[in-house]
Amino acid sequence: MASRISLKPSSGNNKGANGAAERSTVQVLKEWSAWSLEKSKVIAHYGFIPLIIVIGMNSEPKPQLYQLLSPI
Amino acid sequence: MAGFPPPGATILGDAAAGKKIDEVGKKKVDYFNLPCPIPFEELQREAIMSLKPELFEGMRFDFTKGLNPKFSLSHSVFMGPMELPSQGAETLKIPTAHYEFGANFIDPKLMLIGRVLTDGRLTARVKCDLTDDLSLKANAQLSNEPNMSHGMVNFDYKGKDYRTQLQLGDGSLFGASYIQSITPHLSMGGEVFWAGQHLKSGVGYAARYENDKMVATGQVASTGMVAMSYVQKVSEKVSLATDFMYNYLSRDVTASVGYDYILRQARLRGKLDSNGCASAFLEERLNMGLNFVLSAEIDHKKSDYKFGFGLTVG
Repeated sequence: MASRISLKPSSGNNKGANGAAERSTVQVLKEWSAWSLEKSKVIAHYGFIPLIIVIGMNSEPKPQLYQLLSPI
Repeated sequence: MAGFPPPGATILGDAAAGKKIDEVGKKKVDYFNLPCPIPFEELQREAIMSLKPELFEGMRFDFTKGLNPKFSLSHSVFMGPMELPSQGAETLKIPTAHYEFGANFIDPKLMLIGRVLTDGRLTARVKCDLTDDLSLKANAQLSNEPNMSHGMVNFDYKGKDYRTQLQLGDGSLFGASYIQSITPHLSMGGEVFWAGQHLKSGVGYAARYENDKMVATGQVASTGMVAMSYVQKVSEKVSLATDFMYNYLSRDVTASVGYDYILRQARLRGKLDSNGCASAFLEERLNMGLNFVLSAEIDHKKSDYKFGFGLTVG
């Protein structure tokens, strides 16, 4: 344990291959996965219903476009 | 059968003799050909359908327009008081109104259901049959507020006389369940779950016995829940159900008795609870595609009276 006394990494993540000064690959991976999770949540939020409508309008028998809006 | 010699009399063999015993004698249970059991989460579905209809308070109007046998759009308007969770004994209600737009695509292999409210909350459900036996289900509730979104993915595998399910949820929630047919009428199963965020884990066991006239289920979980239910089909149109739930950690008991009348033009479900709550739910078919809905719930203990009416078109 004597060699570990100096320089505790501030982020608290000791598993990276690099030392405390650079961001380790695991940290970069975590940041990317958090970012992609955020973006995919936004995409799912705005895109899910349009996706269902596109899939439905292209299924057989193809409905007409005006049927989307008219109450008949 | 009269012309056959008695079993064992011929030299021809054990196979023929064994088959005759099967045909002539009592029906022998073939333990290698048991039916596939009900999925674990639907174990109590008869009791839940009879005793827990979707009661509501206020006015509800649902319009479903089918563009295709597979594709439909739905518009739903709701106006009424919404209950807020309150610490005291009083119930806090705030009048709200919302409009919900929904789109459904229902195919034998793929089912997509999406509903979006006026405040931006999206409820999405996806069910996809990846192969004949493996199916993927996902549901999510996304909202614009941060940290209020949840999602869950299930993988279901259906074997010859068993089903297994693996569940992954956000907030590091893992669950797995397994149910197996033991006899043609009895099936038993168990489940395990682990919630990372709350650092809770639990194990549960369940059993279900059914025949043509009745269904009895029992469920125990290490979260303290013991639940039993019994549904009896009294006639073609009437079934009676009863439900008992006990939490051995928090010493909470609830028992309820209810009926379910399925008539030609109407469906009436009523329930009486040990919490002093009586409720009824009526769905009446006025015309082809036009349904009228009435819901009532009277809670004598909390003095909370909820009445709702609605119309469902399509």
